[in-house]
Amino acid sequence: MSPLLDVRDLRVEFATRHGTVTALDGVSLRLEPGETLGVVGESGCGKSITALAIMGLIPMPPGRIAGGSIRLDGEELIGAPERRLRQLRGRDIGMIFQEPMTSLNPVFRVGDQIAEAILLHQDVSRDEARRRALDLLRTVGVPDPGQRIDAYPHELSGGLRQRVMIAIAISCQPRLLIADEPTTALDVTVQAQIFDLIRDIQDRLGVAVILITHDMGAIAEMADRVAVMYAGRVVEEGPADAILDSPAHPYTRGLIGCIPAIDPALAALDRLPPLAEIPGVVPPLHLLGQGCAFADRCIEAVDICRKVAPPLTGRGHAVACHLHAAAAASEES
Amino acid sequence: MPAPAGDSASAPPLLEVRNLSVSFPMSRGLFGPKRVLQAVRGISFTVGRGRTLGLVGESGSGKTTAAMAAIRLVTPSDGQVLLEGRDLMALDERAMRAERRHLAVIFQDPYSSLNPRNRVGAIVREPLDLMGIGSPGERESRVRELFRLVGLRPDQMALFPHQFSGGQRQRIAIARALATNPALIVCDEPVSALDVAIQAQILNLLRRLQDDLGLSYLFISHDLGVVQHVCHEVAVMYLGQVVEMAERRRLFSAPAHPYTRALLESAPSLDRRKSAGYRRKAAVKGDPPSPLAIPSGCAFAGRCPQAQPRCRTEEPEPTARDGHLVRCHFPVG
Repeated sequence: MSPLLDVRDLRVEFATRHGTVTALDGVSLRLEPGETLGVVGESGCGKSITALAIMGLIPMPPGRIAGGSIRLDGEELIGAPERRLRQLRGRDIGMIFQEPMTSLNPVFRVGDQIAEAILLHQDVSRDEARRRALDLLRTVGVPDPGQRIDAYPHELSGGLRQRVMIAIAISCQPRLLIADEPTTALDVTVQAQIFDLIRDIQDRLGVAVILITHDMGAIAEMADRVAVMYAGRVVEEGPADAILDSPAHPYTRGLIGCIPAIDPALAALDRLPPLAEIPGVVPPLHLLGQGCAFADRCIEAVDICRKVAPPLTGRGHAVACHLHAAAAASEES
Repeated sequence: MPAPAGDSASAPPLLEVRNLSVSFPMSRGLFGPKRVLQAVRGISFTVGRGRTLGLVGESGSGKTTAAMAAIRLVTPSDGQVLLEGRDLMALDERAMRAERRHLAVIFQDPYSSLNPRNRVGAIVREPLDLMGIGSPGERESRVRELFRLVGLRPDQMALFPHQFSGGQRQRIAIARALATNPALIVCDEPVSALDVAIQAQILNLLRRLQDDLGLSYLFISHDLGVVQHVCHEVAVMYLGQVVEMAERRRLFSAPAHPYTRALLESAPSLDRRKSAGYRRKAAVKGDPPSPLAIPSGCAFAGRCPQAQPRCRTEEPEPTARDGHLVRCHFPVG
């Protein structure tokens, strides 16, 4: 099966006051139709830049796509005319962002904003677009859709606004839905509702999802496969269970270990053990050296880690780590 | 101030809050009816020496207002607050200011809670300056000691807040909170704005400081995973009331209120796997209601998956069994 989305060796640079920095350094991702890929990492790891690049929304300048390829159903998106990208965005690629208040236009009724998205990409009448908008509000679980269709964004709660965003994102039955931290600004019970809704929609429409998140719990619940990013690179990639149960990269292990997750085993303990820590902070991009970007925070780092950036190797479950590569090689021999 | 470790049978708890209520009058234009926002509705709790009480809830639950009222940063409309048996509400301004050295706050956002124009050494020293504690030389050496205590270097004292990362800024905020050697620190979502790896560092630091200094925390959070890692007792708040309160092990192993159970189902966990076909069971509908329009009956009834007709008409009274308080007509278990 050919992938729905095939990102290869993507390089994105930004001009900053510290000179040119490499925000994405050879990122490769594949997504099959109907699949959910979780992209996880801390602030500044490049996960949102990856999403923007796929949507053709990297601000240029200061940004620049310095290399690589992004293919949607075989069609190359890098260098495609803006007119074509606009066609794909909203029709073939739906988007949901973190803060629905800033993504919706505050001066238009939400029904009109959904209808607008439909009219932009489909040859239907205004009345038909409004009828579909009403259907969509029902689909995404907005109560009293007949009334809410004429509401302004500020009259809705954060959860309802995010549902409206999802209605817009799926209005043209996209093949790919990119959700960039879709629940970070919401209350926990509302977060859970939005996750449930995204999974429902995925079951119904068969849409593939890229879920960008910092939350490993969201990854467990939502993702089929996971790409862990650090400082502009994918450092580990594979099936969600493999990543969560046997993380191979020291960064992934640290990231999983430091989560204060709800765990029934902990409820019985008299005193909980301290959380695992990753020392230090993510290095600023302009200070990245030659070696592995994680080396300075890695307790296992050896000489080569500081000199040579490890490539992402392995089939199925791929890891970019010298130590892992060495261990794997000695196991094989 | 006398601060013996551990509670003796006769000594009053460090902090005792009885029937605390806070309401805010809302202006409604010229002709509208006067409305009152009931942020906190008659809550009671105690914080023991060297212990942490978690206040958990979603936005609008009143958790922050309750904590701020408990240290008289917000004026309660009713209720009593006793700090080591001393009635804080009965104190005049001057006497209250003298109590302030025993109380401190750490806020959520380490970016807006530190004055960008001040050097961080001066920021940490400020409580000592304001309360006239020690000579200038003593204050300086105290600040040095505080920097070491929170994992910063004394040579960083001359820098400005913007020269630090989010995690380091939160360490500065913690150092400032510790300056007057307080007995109680209100921690208002102290790690919510931080990346997970940094979050773990700060949570471990708060626990270490508690062990070393015998501090008590009133710890506000929306994240039950975080709460499980730092709290000894937990109070779950909903719309201004405590709906469930228990010792940590009890609350996490045998949650009795449907709202607590829903929060647990929404908290991050690595065990809920898409690969294993996970679907959420106790899904809560809708958004938290507004504290301006508190429903009759049980405040949670409108969203509760187990609500019965009685829940909508009759407000449940809190019942306590073995120190486990629940406010529900039909508690689980």
